[in-house]
Amino acid sequence: MTGKEDFAASLMDDMDPRLLELIQTRVNSFIKWDLVRFFHDNPHTTDTADSIARYTGRDVRTVEPELVQLAQDGVLDMEDLSGMRVYTLTQEQAVRELVANFIQACDDRQFRVKAIYHVIRSLR
Amino acid sequence: MAMERVPTGIAGLDEMIQGGFLPKTANLIEGAPGTGKSTLGMQFIQHGITSCDEPGLILTFEEFPQQYYRDAANFGWDFKQHEADNRLRTIMTSPEVTHADLQRISGRIETLADSIGAKRILVDSLSHFERMTADPVELRQLTFQFINGLKRMGLTAILTRENAALLGETPDSEEDLAFVVDSYTMLRYVEIQGAVHKALLVLKLRGSNHDKDIRQYAITKNGLDVRSRFEGTRGIMSGTPTMTHAQAFAAAFLGSNVDAKTK
Repeated sequence: MTGKEDFAASLMDDMDPRLLELIQTRVNSFIKWDLVRFFHDNPHTTDTADSIARYTGRDVRTVEPELVQLAQDGVLDMEDLSGMRVYTLTQEQAVRELVANFIQACDDRQFRVKAIYHVIRSLR
Repeated sequence: MAMERVPTGIAGLDEMIQGGFLPKTANLIEGAPGTGKSTLGMQFIQHGITSCDEPGLILTFEEFPQQYYRDAANFGWDFKQHEADNRLRTIMTSPEVTHADLQRISGRIETLADSIGAKRILVDSLSHFERMTADPVELRQLTFQFINGLKRMGLTAILTRENAALLGETPDSEEDLAFVVDSYTMLRYVEIQGAVHKALLVLKLRGSNHDKDIRQYAITKNGLDVRSRFEGTRGIMSGTPTMTHAQAFAAAFLGSNVDAKTK
């Protein structure tokens, strides 16, 4: 990494370290970003990947692996309900607050630019 | 001894149903798009929260919670604040998951209802259950189970149901559902003298007497306003009523105004 790139990266890391860690390790794709926003806006929704794909206007083949990863990373709860695999926002209050902070932070353009930078880096 | 009632907060409708719905009952509101089914349901929830100390749930199979917050705000009802105050929970899910959830002990819906002490629920809309099966017998069974699940939780429910016909009678197959609910209210568009009016009729109220009039109503800035009954016309629920003999005579020979008049 060049000096210029180092400087840019350090600027992009300038955010709440808990949010930085969330973006780098858990909300590390744009689909996950969308899904996290959906569950933040619909905190009482429990539904299948098919339904969630429909609600978010995406293909279930794209959405389902991301839901599974979010569940493995503790952002969502995943359970079996009468043979259906369903997802809901985690009941862990600390994670819910972190998600709420992330969504709130996204209102700020500077934060969004930094978050997009990190998501793109993690997609490489 | 007077029966306990669950008022809707819509004065004209409460008057028609002797003060309100009976507690822990399932009450079907059926009508064409735009007739105000969801508004009526939201008004029922709003009245419960603000006037009866009865928190509520909204179970939606299509609309996002944000849509309800926005629609409610148009009538001056702050549903977002009710959520923050733990007086309301708006749950968007699918009929399949709802059905499975109600089968288990302490499912998510029951847990949410318990967490806020919910007494009322708006289910918007029951029409989505139709995508679970094409068999009308099975559909009736599923609906019956669903309704009993709500009653088990001690909830008084308003269930909306869409009717594709903008004007006119309900097809026979759709009336089947009326047998499994405790009350059945129809909202209809009616064309009279080239203008579209809205009509409300309570067809059934199990265990209680009710007003049999066909009433006019309007959606105002405060919600539904159920007014007096239609007069001077017959066949209102057909969607294209005709004048009564007296009204027709008056129109032909006395030159009186032939518009549908209300008391």
